[in-house]
Amino acid sequence: MSEKCVVVGIGNPYLQDDRAGVVVVEKLEEQGVPCNTEIVYTVGFEVMDKVKGYDRAIIVDACMLGNEPGSILEVTMDDIFTTSSLVNSHAITLGTTLKTGYLCFQEEMPKEIQIVLIEVKDIKEFTQVMSPEVDKAVEVVVDRIKSLVCHWHTAIPSGS
Amino acid sequence: MKKIEINPITRLEGHGKIAIFLDDQGNVDDAFFQTVEFRGFEKFLQGMPMEEVPRTVSTVCGVCRGVHYMASTKAADGVFGVTPPSAGRKLRELFFNAHYVEDHAVILYALGFPDFVVGPEANPAERNVVGLINAVGAEVGKEVLRKRGLAVKIFELLGGKPNHAVAALPGGWSKSLNEEERKQIEEWSKELVELGELTLKIFDDVVLQNDDYMKLVTGDVFKVEVGYMGSVNDKDQITYYDGTQKIIDSAGKPVGSFTGKEYLDFISERVQPWTYLKFPYQKKIGDWQGIVEGPGTNIYSVGPLARLNIVKEMDTPKAQAHFEKFHATFGAKPVHNILAYHWARAIELLNAAEKCLELSRDPEITSKDIWNKPTSCPGEGVGVIEAPRGTLIHHYCTDDKGIVTDANLIVATTHNNAPINLAVKKAAKHFIKGGEVPESMLNYVEMAFRPYDLCLACATHTVTGGQTPMEIEIYDSKGGLYKSMKNF
Repeated sequence: MSEKCVVVGIGNPYLQDDRAGVVVVEKLEEQGVPCNTEIVYTVGFEVMDKVKGYDRAIIVDACMLGNEPGSILEVTMDDIFTTSSLVNSHAITLGTTLKTGYLCFQEEMPKEIQIVLIEVKDIKEFTQVMSPEVDKAVEVVVDRIKSLVCHWHTAIPSGS
Repeated sequence: MKKIEINPITRLEGHGKIAIFLDDQGNVDDAFFQTVEFRGFEKFLQGMPMEEVPRTVSTVCGVCRGVHYMASTKAADGVFGVTPPSAGRKLRELFFNAHYVEDHAVILYALGFPDFVVGPEANPAERNVVGLINAVGAEVGKEVLRKRGLAVKIFELLGGKPNHAVAALPGGWSKSLNEEERKQIEEWSKELVELGELTLKIFDDVVLQNDDYMKLVTGDVFKVEVGYMGSVNDKDQITYYDGTQKIIDSAGKPVGSFTGKEYLDFISERVQPWTYLKFPYQKKIGDWQGIVEGPGTNIYSVGPLARLNIVKEMDTPKAQAHFEKFHATFGAKPVHNILAYHWARAIELLNAAEKCLELSRDPEITSKDIWNKPTSCPGEGVGVIEAPRGTLIHHYCTDDKGIVTDANLIVATTHNNAPINLAVKKAAKHFIKGGEVPESMLNYVEMAFRPYDLCLACATHTVTGGQTPMEIEIYDSKGGLYKSMKNF
């Protein structure tokens, strides 16, 4: 039996390049990639709820770091958990929700979480059409996740 | 492109900016809270079939998803001229009260309590939900989060889809409950009531028993004397899903009440050139007077404190006991101390949990008669609900096929815009003296707007970084930039 894995796509499906994480998950579902999938529109405690109970998790989200649009970054929870990001009057950040999960539900949280970020070009307009750079990056991320999931399946002997 | 250095994740909560102007003595002359971006969600809705609107507007904000969903659903009832059967309405109420528990719990534990449990002048690195868990212990944190998760489960079970519901229909609800599901919700709701009681105990232990904090809570620095608006049922009790919108002035005297489209008779919106966020005011009290507090002001607040100020009582017994203690503590009604928003929020959490339990035990809740099919399209609908952070109004006009031709959304942060400005100015005046700007000022100013639980995404429909970025710029009496502070 293989380890349980989940891919969580985060984004607003109606908001231009912000929808990248959602589209990645939709494409994985269309292609029948053998992993569980979840879509959330925000980064509150919902993300923690979605990854609890899994051995591995991949989280895909859009980012705005000033890189070239369509750039793909693979980061860890500690990379995005900074103290200043917790100063917030309304929302819970992704780093915070994951850190909180490990503080309170260590035994239920995945032993490994990979976070994939796609640099956006534009997130000002409500549209379901992404910019070409992000569209292309989504395809690359889908292939990358497919290969990761397949690796996990083949790396773990059946019945283990 | 805005450069967000701290948090790379694009989210929706908006960008605020505070400009503080000093006089010749270096004291605060004026202060402004600005929102500097605009998204234009109403425009996006034009041309959309009305029945699609609830599922779409629930994405205005990832946090407030249930409230926009419900307000637009009620507006859709109006557009198609149909009201839900009793059981359909009760399912909506159960769904909505579960959302309240979830939302209030997150706001209190992640954003409100850290100021008190960890301390208002604590290092920002510790003054947050992680610091809170470290202070109260992982077991308490775990129990709070687990119980909050049960509210999410109710939301999802009734909504038919995780996070963003799909079950609402003009004229009712599409997901009925079977007996097994009802029993499950009843068991979960018992735990939600425990969560409400635990939350109020923590507030009592940490804040009410601390003389220094109570001086802050009951003092004048965080006090804004304005009028209030919220919803009441036919017994003048608190209600969230439906009711009559009641308005009182700053002395507690009734100004009037309205339902649906009548909001246009009571609320005007003033546009200021320095912010995208409008300034609503009560036009029954008079024309725009500026952003002023005190007797005669037509500025008003919404949200938990406003609701506890306008109602005669709560509609559940446990919350009612705390409501009485709340008003006895301040010895006044209305209460103008804005840090009391946090206490009011905790009381509402318990109230919403009790409502979930009550509704889960209602014999009608498993009825299959939950939808009245629309047969016409009058073409205009207004949905008003009490969102956790305040009154939310959705107003739509459609053509005879139900295609949206016009949309207007007035959200809680917009109602609260002027009081937020007043609160920020007051805090700034207190903490900046003679040109001295202490570093702790940034958090005290944040403490002045945090009770209102800003949602600039909803208010101006903006897009920025993963936090609510806030800049404070202080200008000297000649208009030169004196100091700049920011939380990102």
